[in-house]
Amino acid sequence: MESSLKSEKGYDLLLLSGEVDLQYSPKVREKILGALRQGKPLLIDMESVSYIDSSGIASLVEGFQTAKSAKLPYGLLNISDPAMQVLTLTRLDKIFSLYTSTEQFSQQL
Amino acid sequence: MTKKMQLLQLKFPARAEEMCTVRQKLREVLGTCSKSESTINCIVLAVGEACMNIIQHAYGSSEKGDIVLEVEKLGSDMIFRLRDFAKHKTCAKEMQSRPLDELRPGGLGCHIINEIMDEVQLIDCEKSCGNVLQMKKCLSPPKGQTG
Repeated sequence: MESSLKSEKGYDLLLLSGEVDLQYSPKVREKILGALRQGKPLLIDMESVSYIDSSGIASLVEGFQTAKSAKLPYGLLNISDPAMQVLTLTRLDKIFSLYTSTEQFSQQL
Repeated sequence: MTKKMQLLQLKFPARAEEMCTVRQKLREVLGTCSKSESTINCIVLAVGEACMNIIQHAYGSSEKGDIVLEVEKLGSDMIFRLRDFAKHKTCAKEMQSRPLDELRPGGLGCHIINEIMDEVQLIDCEKSCGNVLQMKKCLSPPKGQTG
């Protein structure tokens, strides 16, 4: 699993790639919560996530709740097929804001 | 009579770091039984969630031990058996899905397992140490589709 945080105009972009499982989800959780602590909207690029399990999903949910409390926009970008399968199974595809381009996210800031 | 075929028997330490290799081996075995990438992804996810339950809840942080994963094929059914040797006895209630309208991190693993697998059963092993979880998935494609 790899992750990197980029500062974009008006928001932070967190790129996740590889397998987000029990071994790496604490790191992802820290990245998400750390980014939100900066007080900026957060967009998480999931195009290269090849596997995500419930521990990874839990990190995304915790980020969602933290962002909601802080009234910060929070979204998921270009979700890969394996990640979308898990979001659909857990019905979180109806809860998270999903985007197919960074422009879409920027427009609602 | 349909013959049961053992496709995999794997013993590994119950640690998060082992799971990447376990998933890879499971994926290889499943690739010989199904052409559907989506079905393979789902099964790998469900078995991974069941292993994670053992790591986090059966052994927990205070106990170390192994997991044995067995994969068998019986006709169009795939059977996945996970054995642990933990002191904790997993009960059926722990394997139930939680309501999804309750938005909170965690507790989604059992829901994922129950959604993906056709049968999920704790095998009674009262006299021995540990737990055995058996999950069954039928690989027959729905009518009108080829698998």
